[in-house]
Amino acid sequence: MSLLLPLAHALVARRDLPIPTWLFAWAASIVLIVSFFALSVAWRKPRFEDERWRPTASGVSRALLSLPAQILSGGVGLFLLGFSVYAGLQGTEAPDRNFALTFLFVTVWLGIPFFSVFLGDVFRPFNPWRAVGRAIGGSFSLIAGQPPAHLTYPNRLGRWPAAVGLLAFVWLEVAYAQSGGVSVVLSPHVAGIAALLYSLYTLVMMTLFGVEKWCENGEVFSVYFGMFSQLGIFGVKDGRLGRRLPFSAAGKWATVPGSAAVVIASIASTSFDGAQEGAFKEGIIQVFEWLSDAGMDLLAARRLSDTIFMGLCFAGIGLVYLVGVKGMASVRGAPPFSKLRSGFAHTLIPIAFAYLVAHYFSLFVFQEQAQFTYLLSDPLGNGHTDLFGTASGTVDFKLLSANAIWYVQVAALIIGHVAGLTLAHDRATAWWGDYRQAARSQYWMLAVMVAFTCFGLYLLSSANS
Amino acid sequence: MNSNATRAALGALTIIVAVVLLIVLKGNDSASKTANSSGEVPTIVVENGQPVGGVRDLTYNKGEQIRFKVDSDVSDEVHVHGYDIMEDVKAGGSVSFDFPATIEGVFEAELEDREEQIVELTVNP
Repeated sequence: MSLLLPLAHALVARRDLPIPTWLFAWAASIVLIVSFFALSVAWRKPRFEDERWRPTASGVSRALLSLPAQILSGGVGLFLLGFSVYAGLQGTEAPDRNFALTFLFVTVWLGIPFFSVFLGDVFRPFNPWRAVGRAIGGSFSLIAGQPPAHLTYPNRLGRWPAAVGLLAFVWLEVAYAQSGGVSVVLSPHVAGIAALLYSLYTLVMMTLFGVEKWCENGEVFSVYFGMFSQLGIFGVKDGRLGRRLPFSAAGKWATVPGSAAVVIASIASTSFDGAQEGAFKEGIIQVFEWLSDAGMDLLAARRLSDTIFMGLCFAGIGLVYLVGVKGMASVRGAPPFSKLRSGFAHTLIPIAFAYLVAHYFSLFVFQEQAQFTYLLSDPLGNGHTDLFGTASGTVDFKLLSANAIWYVQVAALIIGHVAGLTLAHDRATAWWGDYRQAARSQYWMLAVMVAFTCFGLYLLSSANS
Repeated sequence: MNSNATRAALGALTIIVAVVLLIVLKGNDSASKTANSSGEVPTIVVENGQPVGGVRDLTYNKGEQIRFKVDSDVSDEVHVHGYDIMEDVKAGGSVSFDFPATIEGVFEAELEDREEQIVELTVNP
């Protein structure tokens, strides 16, 4: 019996070796030592609550935010989305030879968080749905002479729609697979149809609630990439581009309900993808066998068992976070539980990013070689086109040694851990009047961070796909 | 409670945990698999288009010579992914592979037309 494989597996012919136990042990030790060292040198006044935003030169800002620049970047985004859908629907069903899968799931999904973390929200100007939504809204205003009316977005809902959408997107990638084709995996055709359906859904929601409101709360990619961009150094305020203190925007981001769900969904989905063929493999097969023995269709049984484990991942990681928040709430002078719950969500963003780097760094490096050689020249993968003369290019798997990958993985987790602790400590000093109580509350968050980082290391050590 | 004392206690605890972790895990390392250094060339027998005994794990260190043989009762193409080496095999025939382990990582060899994995190839640094 051939098991369904996660997408990463079908795209890249080289998989990462699990990190060796000695490296696991050293990394776990460093995590613990760094954590307690951090507690003893910690500062007493918040340092990241104020963005210290300063505008850049007005010429640069005006040029980048001008209407022609916005139309151009929106057009580029729309073209790339349209082209991916076209390639998905018209191109080969071989996942590794079709432009659509690598572009959507590797170049965009993994590449944009990387740039966002350092630079800020780079996705927003290229967001194809926002561009279309604004174009339609603008035309409506011109014709009707007044801006379109919208329903009031229920603020209690916050970012929950995006959290659900994020899980759905990852579920499509790792749990919903097609039998047949070159490999049993998400087919380009399904990806193309999913992109069309998502576009329709997004435009309807934008019409109902307004373009910007939906981008802030419900549009999965805006919210997901926007989350990482809170750590970056550029931000737009009152129509002007400016520089801000790195990490400083994240604190404000975290005050919207559902923010914690978005970060946890991100960590959970990366964990699941990493554990699917390693830590969870036996469990998934066990559940699969129960379901198929109970008479369920094989493909359905496999999807359902994957779905169950993905749900468990989300619930488990959410539970660890909530226990930490509950603990903090028990410290004297604590704000209410519900405020703490979303108010510390941003402290997990660095961890979510560390998980991404740890699990997908090598995939990204290998698959981008394909993206910019044969997938660019022969996007449909049918061997008929050679647009840029690179259609016969190949991926150089010797580019990264196993050691290089291991060190990047472990370094990402440790740096993410330290950054998470920093943000959590900073928020506590701002929210607890008394420094001593603030420090005490952070034992809880420290435990949460150590748990997540060690879980991440564990996933890397028990094979990674 | 005195918070400095708490910290000192927690710090000490951490170091103990770390040391224990190191010792416990270090012990496991000696048990890890070594490469296929025995002189025999592993043979994968394919019956009805499937590997007998399931997917074969082959482990090498970088720089060693990877050698294995496939005896197949079906005609197909054996494809070693990553290294991108392909050899045709006829029904009832066999095909031998002999190439240096130059790329680190985990790779699959499969019967290309049937999409059936027969070897899981691990190359350690």
